[in-house]
Amino acid sequence: MNSHKTKTLSKPKGQQSLFSVKGDALAAQLATGLIVGLIMATGLLSDTSSAQTESSEIPDLTGIWDGGTRARPINGENMPWEPSNFPVLNERALAYQQVWEEIIAPKYDCQPASSPAIQYDPYHMEVTQWPDRVLFRYEKDDQLRTVWLDGREPKATDFGIQGFSVGHYDGDALEVVTTHFVFDVAGFDDYNGIPSSSQKVVRERYWREGADLWITLTVEDPMFLREPASYTTRWIPARAGYKLASYDCDAESSRAMVKFFPSKYK
Amino acid sequence: MITHRIILPLLLLLALGLLAMAPPLSAHHASGPFYDSDKPIEIKGVVTRFVFRNPHAALFLDVTDDSGETAEWQVELGAPVMLRRVGWTPDLLPVGMIVRVAGPSARAEGAKGLLGRKLTRADGSPILEGGSTQEPTPAR
Repeated sequence: MNSHKTKTLSKPKGQQSLFSVKGDALAAQLATGLIVGLIMATGLLSDTSSAQTESSEIPDLTGIWDGGTRARPINGENMPWEPSNFPVLNERALAYQQVWEEIIAPKYDCQPASSPAIQYDPYHMEVTQWPDRVLFRYEKDDQLRTVWLDGREPKATDFGIQGFSVGHYDGDALEVVTTHFVFDVAGFDDYNGIPSSSQKVVRERYWREGADLWITLTVEDPMFLREPASYTTRWIPARAGYKLASYDCDAESSRAMVKFFPSKYK
Repeated sequence: MITHRIILPLLLLLALGLLAMAPPLSAHHASGPFYDSDKPIEIKGVVTRFVFRNPHAALFLDVTDDSGETAEWQVELGAPVMLRRVGWTPDLLPVGMIVRVAGPSARAEGAKGLLGRKLTRADGSPILEGGSTQEPTPAR
């Protein structure tokens, strides 16, 4: 796992067998033509026509990655958003911060973290690379993000808490752009009371350096930020044999400490 | 040479010992809004319930004060997804077990709660055989 910087993706074996039919050549051609024609008629090929070719050299990002304290400082009010890269907030965001208090955060009702926070949560993450997509599975909150590589565009109904992600390989890196986020009163991070809107755009660039996986993440959201903000961090390979655990957030446990908060709203 | 033979293994053991004490973190939320580090507290009580669920394990104790009054206290611990990695299980703290807990006290007035920075058996020994006394520390 994670031992090579680049790798070549191959087609699933089932698809390869379609083009290696033995026997009568004419019959094979007719059968192949019929099958391909049927597939094209049902539109199954149209969605994958612009996926990157199987022979492309792409970075090997596959594996289970540790984003815990072995890899980087733990998140907090000043991590990863330090004074040097802290987002410049507009008046709307500042007004939100004034009415904000910690227990407003929907995470206390088990709402999952989303970008750009979930990438910096100190948990494990699994990356799976398929020819037409890259899957990011986060141990935190049991979240799964799909990054489509086949050229598809989000539809008007594709809004969600993790947004809609498209990407492509750029040399030895994976570039991801995510849009179509739903409004989130704590959508920027877990610590500073900064909301995010449906105008949020998150750009991620993943690459390998030795055994490690790196990311530079940039977030823009004209509804709340005056300019884009970004951070760079890394994951290290998980210990051998590690498998992602189920998070299975429990609503009662999630709210258990809320009563210890001295609310300013009486 | 002899010095190296003795000191290097000792340094290695020390480093491993420090690693063993590194607390698993929850990182689900900041602890500051809920607990006051300037007001640490230590309690001793009888386990009435141990809820081993994400995002935070919670321990409930019956604590008897100096006047003989008994009240239930709530202790916030780390995320089970992390605690499991260092050997914690849902049956580690059975009902009736006596434990000591120390950590920042809850901020809300009159609240009976704390963040479990240090957790031991009644005699002060680690909860886990050979383990650290500071495993359960939650986020920051």
